[in-house]
Amino acid sequence: MQNEIVIVGLNHRSAPIEVRESVAFENSYVRAALGRLRNYPSVREGVILSTCNRVEVVAAASDSQSAFNDITEFLGEKKAHRNSLPLEDHVYTYRGAEAVRHLFRVAASLDSMVVGEPQILGQLKQYYDTAQQAGTVGTILHRLFHRSFSVAKRVRTETGIGSGAVSVSSVAVDLAKRIFDRFDDKTVMLIGAGKIGDLMARHLLSQGVRSLMVTNRTFERAVLLAEKIQGSPIRFEDFPRYLTMADLVTGCTAAAEVLVEAPTVEKVLRDRKQKAMFFIDIGDRRNFDPKINDLDNVYLYNIDDLKSVAEDNLQGRSNEAEKAEEIVGNEVESFVRWMESLEQVPTITALRRRFEEIRRKEIEKSLGGNLKDLSESQRAALEDMTAAMINKLLHAPISQLKRNSGDEDDDSALYVAALKKLFDLEGK
Amino acid sequence: MDALLFALTAAAYVIASAIFFVYLFRGDTASRLPTTVLLFGFVVHTMALTSRFFQEGFAAVAVMGKALLFHAWLMVGIYLLMQLKYRLTVLGGIVSPLAFLMTLAAFAVGSGSAEIPPGFRTFWLPLHVTLAFLGNAVFALAFGVSLIYLLQERRLKHKRMTALMKRFPSLESLDRLNYTLLVWGFPLMTLGIITGSLWAGIHWGNYWSWDPRQISSAIAWLLYGALLHGRITAGLRGKKAALLTMFGFCVVLGYFLWGDAIFPTRHGGRFE
Repeated sequence: MQNEIVIVGLNHRSAPIEVRESVAFENSYVRAALGRLRNYPSVREGVILSTCNRVEVVAAASDSQSAFNDITEFLGEKKAHRNSLPLEDHVYTYRGAEAVRHLFRVAASLDSMVVGEPQILGQLKQYYDTAQQAGTVGTILHRLFHRSFSVAKRVRTETGIGSGAVSVSSVAVDLAKRIFDRFDDKTVMLIGAGKIGDLMARHLLSQGVRSLMVTNRTFERAVLLAEKIQGSPIRFEDFPRYLTMADLVTGCTAAAEVLVEAPTVEKVLRDRKQKAMFFIDIGDRRNFDPKINDLDNVYLYNIDDLKSVAEDNLQGRSNEAEKAEEIVGNEVESFVRWMESLEQVPTITALRRRFEEIRRKEIEKSLGGNLKDLSESQRAALEDMTAAMINKLLHAPISQLKRNSGDEDDDSALYVAALKKLFDLEGK
Repeated sequence: MDALLFALTAAAYVIASAIFFVYLFRGDTASRLPTTVLLFGFVVHTMALTSRFFQEGFAAVAVMGKALLFHAWLMVGIYLLMQLKYRLTVLGGIVSPLAFLMTLAAFAVGSGSAEIPPGFRTFWLPLHVTLAFLGNAVFALAFGVSLIYLLQERRLKHKRMTALMKRFPSLESLDRLNYTLLVWGFPLMTLGIITGSLWAGIHWGNYWSWDPRQISSAIAWLLYGALLHGRITAGLRGKKAALLTMFGFCVVLGYFLWGDAIFPTRHGGRFE
C-alpha cells in the first residue's frame, strides 16, 4: 500500500569515471531498461537518469530496503558483462525526504560538478519524458519530477546560481558583454585557428556576432575554420592591417612571441576613432603586449585574468548556494506533506471499511439470532441506527486527520501509522 | 501646506535612495520598488511645486532655495522618463540621493520669499529659468551616467569583478547614453544662456555684465561645447569624455550652490 521514493545512484563524487561509464545507459536503451526495471516487484514507478556525471534510478517503491537491493542489482546487472568492479562501494541510496531533497538538488544544479551549469535540467526533463513514454511514471514520480523542474526554475530566478560564468570562454563572453552592448554590429578577429579559437568563435556566434575574421600562420587552417564558422580567412602577415576593423581580438596561437604590440594598438585606435577594443589572450603563451591594457578604451585579459574572474564568480556563488539550499529545503517539506496526505486517503477508506465490516457482521449475527422476529421497518431502523453510530464514532478522528494534513507541523504521518496499527488496517 | 508636501518629497527621496542602495548591493535590479518610491516622491513634489506656483507665481522657482527644488524636480522627472526607455535602475541610485540632497539644501538655504519686481515679470524670465534648469538637469543625469561609466571602466581595467558591477549596463551603452544626454543638454544650455542674456539686455540694459553666474555658465558652455565637438570629430569618448562631463557639471553645480555666497550676483533672487 505505502509508497516511498527511493534513489539509487552514483555520481562524480561517489564513483570514478570507469565505474560510471560501466553502468551508464545509452540513450537508445533507456526504454528497454525501464521495462526491465519495472519487472522488479518492489519498484512501482521508475525513472532512469544517465549523464556523464551521474547514473541514477529514481523510483517509487513499496518497500525501500528491497527496492535498494533490487535497483542496485539492476544497475549491476547491466555492468556485469563489461567488467567486475564492486558496485556497492560506489552507489548511494536515499529514501523519503532525503530522496526528494537529492532530486531537487540535482535538478537545481546544486549537485553538479560545475554548480549552476544549466544542462542538467534539460537532461532531467528528457529522461523523465522517456520514462513517461515507457509508462513507468505514475502519480508520485509525475508530481515529484514536475516539482523538481519548478524548484530548479525558482533557484535559477531567485538566486545568482547559474548567472556566473563558468568556463574560460564564457567568462570572456561575459566580460565582453560588459564592454559591448550588442554583438551583431561587432567584428571579431581570431588569431590562431586551433581548438580554443574554434570554441571561442562558437561562443561568440551564439551571442549574435556576425562578422568573424580568422588568421593563422598556416593559411589553410584559417580557411578551414573560417568555412566552419562562416568567417573570412586572412593571411597571417596581413592581419595587423585588419585590426582597425576588429572590436574583439582573440589570441590563441601556440607561439611564444608577442604578436600585437601596444604602439600598434595605439595607432589602430586612432584610426578607429577610439572605439573600444577587447583583447583576449586565451592561449597559454602571451600573444598580446600587456601594456595594451594601459591604453584608454582598450581592455586586455589573458588566460590567468579570466581564470581568476571565474574563481571570483564561484566564490560569490557559495552564498547563493545557501539561498538555493533554503529553497530546496522548503520545497522538500511541502512535497513530503503532499506524500503524507496521499497516504491518508487510503487509510481513511480502510478505516471506514473495517468499521462497516464489523457492523455488517454483527447485524447479520443478531438478525439471524435474537432479533430474527423484527419487522421490515424495525430492521431498517436498526440499519440506520448502527450506520449513524459508526459515522458519529468516526467523524472526529477522520476530520482530525484531514485537518492535520494542512498544518505546518503536522503529525498526520504519526496518526496514520497509529490508526493502521490500532485497527490492523495493514493486513487487509 | 506645501512645506509639508516638500517634507514628504524629501522623505520619499531619502527612502528611495536607501532602497536603491539595498537593492543594488543585493544585486537586484529587476525590482520596481525603488523606482516606484521615487515616482511617488516625484508626484508629491509636483503637487508641492504646483501649489506654490499658484501662490507665488514664477517667484516660486526664481529664488535660490526654491530654484533647487525646481531643479531637483526636473532631474527626477527626466530620469523617470529615461527609465521608460533605458531601464537604468543603477542611475536611480545616484539620482535619488542627489535629489534628496537638493531638497535638503533647499530647506537649509531657506525660501525667503523674494518678490520679483514688477518690471521683471516678462515671459523671458520663466523661459530663461526653465531652459537653463532643463539643461542643468540633463547634465546632472549625464554626471550620474559618467560616474557609473568610470566605476565600470575602472573595474574592467583592474580586473576586479563584483556582483554589483554585473548589474551595470555595458560601457558601450553608457557611453552612448552619455552622448545622447550631451546632445540634448547642450542646446538647452545654449538657449538658456541666450534667453538669459536677452532678458538681461532688456532689464539691466546690457546683455553681458560679467556676472559670476554668467561667467561660470560660459565656462561650462565652452567645456560642453568642446566635448561635443571632440566627440563628433575626434572620437573623444569613453573615460575622457566621462571625466569631462563630470567636470562640466561640477562647474555648473558648484556655482549653483555656492557661487552666490562667494560673489554677489544678480542671480539667485537679487534683481536690482
